[in-house]
Amino acid sequence: MNPILILAAHTCREQLRNRSFQVAILFAGVILYMSLLLGALAAEQETRVLLDFGLGLSELLALALAVFGAATTVLKEIETKTIYLILTRPVPRFVYLLGRYCGLVLSTAAGLLAMAAVHLALLLVKGWAWQASYLLALTGILLKVAIAAALASFVALATTSVLSALTMIGIVWTLGHFAPELSFLARQSMKGPAAPILLAAAQLLPNLQLLNFRETIGTPAAPPLRAVLFGAAYAAAYSSICLALAYSWLRRKEF
Amino acid sequence: MPETALSFVGVTKTYSRSHLGRTTTTRGVEELSLELASGEIFGLLGLNGSGKTTTLKLALGLLRPSKGEVSVLGHPSGTAKALASMGYLPELPYFYPYLAPREVLTLYGRLSALPASSLPGKIDTTLEAVGLSRAADRRMAEFSKGMLQRVGLAQAILHDPTLLLLDEPVSGLDPLAIAEFRELLATLNAKGKTLVLSSHSISEVEKICHRAGILADGKLVRVISQTEWSGEPGRLEKLFVETVRPFANA
Repeated sequence: MNPILILAAHTCREQLRNRSFQVAILFAGVILYMSLLLGALAAEQETRVLLDFGLGLSELLALALAVFGAATTVLKEIETKTIYLILTRPVPRFVYLLGRYCGLVLSTAAGLLAMAAVHLALLLVKGWAWQASYLLALTGILLKVAIAAALASFVALATTSVLSALTMIGIVWTLGHFAPELSFLARQSMKGPAAPILLAAAQLLPNLQLLNFRETIGTPAAPPLRAVLFGAAYAAAYSSICLALAYSWLRRKEF
Repeated sequence: MPETALSFVGVTKTYSRSHLGRTTTTRGVEELSLELASGEIFGLLGLNGSGKTTTLKLALGLLRPSKGEVSVLGHPSGTAKALASMGYLPELPYFYPYLAPREVLTLYGRLSALPASSLPGKIDTTLEAVGLSRAADRRMAEFSKGMLQRVGLAQAILHDPTLLLLDEPVSGLDPLAIAEFRELLATLNAKGKTLVLSSHSISEVEKICHRAGILADGKLVRVISQTEWSGEPGRLEKLFVETVRPFANA
């Protein structure tokens, strides 16, 4: 078996056995169920409120699981020295990093699917008509989370601090949803020597707006296939760059 | 098989640490030159901080030399070819506490590219060799230090490596386990394996090693052959104390 798959399967198992992971999914299920109360307050817009709230909650919890996992997994392995017994086998460091990352994304996908199952069940009970764009919304969430996890892996390795990685991802995640607006503002309002720097900073942020497919649920205009494929390619490219940067850090590291 | 299993040529390792703009350097090992023949059992002796673990980590590629070259069976240290033929037991081995020995050996066996068809049988044989058959499916969170040491040894020998590096291998083991461990090492050596032991236990080194190297302040200050201590119990300890005392008092 490919070592990337071996490490991905190991990471998946590690995450799924993790108490925090299990509690987070359980918590999501309870909150989703309780969101029925929120929906009841919205009268005619009940299913819309349930839909938006559920997807938003699933996105936030998936983000928390993936980013926390990415920020802690490698650092914890270094701290507990379990990494010694992996890196003293014929496993290149980029394979180790990629395997760990793939496992995190896969386990997050599993968590996301579990939350989606509860959410969908509630929606269908409330009479929501199934739309394929729901799956597209989940894909968009997973792609955004994959970017955030790759970035968290890099920041955690570079700073060796879980807290700084979590803080930075929180900021990037928020700003990343306004990346086009930030670029526009930088172009329009900034003058002088600082303008190119601000513009470059805005460009460096991941453009998470590209992957916000959930906004299209219930609207007649589904995103064109080209936009979806572009979003997926963008997420893959951005994540690859972050992982390459993380690898450049791990490659130089001594234990 | 190459005649030289492990070779250090003029190896120096210095650690640099920067804090508030001030860089401090610490010497790990200095001008280390040593060759270990295939099939040899070599003991690394030294006081705390003398460079024993640094030497092993340099051989494994976990550390890179600041100067000099380290090669394993003709391959540069840390490369896939070198690592494929090595087994390593770290001092105080850490494992994933939620896994059982069988699960952890499956993981390491797969990462060592052992064929899936023979892996379960290989794991059973290895667990039996280290005396862990009955605890094979128990979570390691419940294990004592000695049991973890046995798992550490099991993962080190699972893939049948040519060169075994053992850092403080008898630490935490009870007398019976130490005797069994010694027998196991002798069996492995009889099969042609090269063993390197880093240890504070001079009596163990005296019993099983063909040669011993004494490290002091990061320098290999003396290499002693078995002929110099055999036939006189406690002789190696005397030689060790005589060699390191000037460094300890310096």
